[in-house]
Amino acid sequence: MSQPLCEVKMLKKAYPSFMLSDVSFSLRPGRITGFIGRNGAGKTTTIKSMLGLVHPDGGEISYFGTPLSGNEKKIKQRLGYSTGAVNYYPKKRIREIVAVTRPFFDSWDEDSYKEYRTLFSIDESKLPSELSYGMRVKLNLLLALSHRAEILILDEPTSSLDPFSRDELLDIFTELKDRGVSILFSTHITSDIEKCADDILYIKKGRLAADCTKEDFVKKYCNAGESIEQAILRLERGNDR
Amino acid sequence: MMKLLKKELRLAASPVTYLFIVFGMTALIPGYPILIGSFFLGLGLFQSFQTAREANDLTYTALLPVAKTDAVRAKYLFCGFIQLCYLLLTSAVTLIRMTALSGAKVYINNPMMNANLVYLGFVMLSLGLFQSVFVGGFFKTGYSLARPFLRFIILSFLTVGLGETLFHLPGMSALNSPGFSNIGLQLAALLLGAISYFALTAVSVQRSLRSFERIDL
Repeated sequence: MSQPLCEVKMLKKAYPSFMLSDVSFSLRPGRITGFIGRNGAGKTTTIKSMLGLVHPDGGEISYFGTPLSGNEKKIKQRLGYSTGAVNYYPKKRIREIVAVTRPFFDSWDEDSYKEYRTLFSIDESKLPSELSYGMRVKLNLLLALSHRAEILILDEPTSSLDPFSRDELLDIFTELKDRGVSILFSTHITSDIEKCADDILYIKKGRLAADCTKEDFVKKYCNAGESIEQAILRLERGNDR
Repeated sequence: MMKLLKKELRLAASPVTYLFIVFGMTALIPGYPILIGSFFLGLGLFQSFQTAREANDLTYTALLPVAKTDAVRAKYLFCGFIQLCYLLLTSAVTLIRMTALSGAKVYINNPMMNANLVYLGFVMLSLGLFQSVFVGGFFKTGYSLARPFLRFIILSFLTVGLGETLFHLPGMSALNSPGFSNIGLQLAALLLGAISYFALTAVSVQRSLRSFERIDL
């Protein structure tokens, strides 16, 4: 089995009304991992901790065999991260945002940038505030994909997208996977997982309830004829079988 | 760090901030509390902090391959850069008043603070207070602007009051010397202002780095 690109070990974070407890998992190259759980289950806290945006109370996070702490700059060169839609600089031209972003990444690939910009039909002369939610998601992805990221960490990228855009995006995930990119995307839309995920992380009330391949998840948690969505709904209601 | 400064100047800054650098020319206004200009510069910088907060500047910075604390350094660098532009402008105006305009009628019977090196010392103190009270206060939370700015307003006006009162006290009139008279005293006041600026900024940067590191974005 290939070495993990990212390892999260015993991650802990306590808030007054919520606690993330001992979350551990790893991401492998060329795999799509769907991170599922209901709103408030701990998906965003886990992702933000993985990026150093949230200070965990305990646990270790490492990428490419190197701990995140103290190596943020180097590691982030090889990461792509997107929190849903672009919600920054709504009144600046996209061209201007890209021009400022580009020099930060050593491996910025102008050809990839142009390719994805055409694919996503993003007009550089527009302002983010002039784009629909779906287009702003694509803009965020465009920035993440243009520096040849080896790992993409995407927080609810498909939420609020129309079914066509969602389908298009999931196809792009599959294409990136074939190029060896590892993708972690959080979602509460189970059909996205059914369509393209290889592995499933299921988080419930701050604890990782499942960490396995999609096939193993189906074997272990789905009753005969039951879809992943039906199984998760049942598990959320507290019925193990 | 220069890339982050460019990001601050091109994306995060409010155009109003650049405009407020012109307040460095208040040193030319006769019979006016000229130190107020450095308060206005603080107001201009405040606009940039507000614009950056509304534009989710910190979220964007977090996407970049930089350390979390670099976001703090970039803001101080941006403020320092704008303050340097202001200081250069107001220093040029002050030098003009100390030389070519030293005999101008409108400045001879000036009851307010003269534009001299003591004034520049007070300007540096005021700019240092901005770094310490406002920028340092902002990085305690990463979002709250009102309280730190209110504190800055109070301290800034107290500084203006101090600058405008001090030379009226017995034996202190030399502080308001026109041109190059009492130049030793003027230089000492400027040096004191510069030391205050660098000390206040250095302490504030260190405190902000520590507090921002603890904040969850």
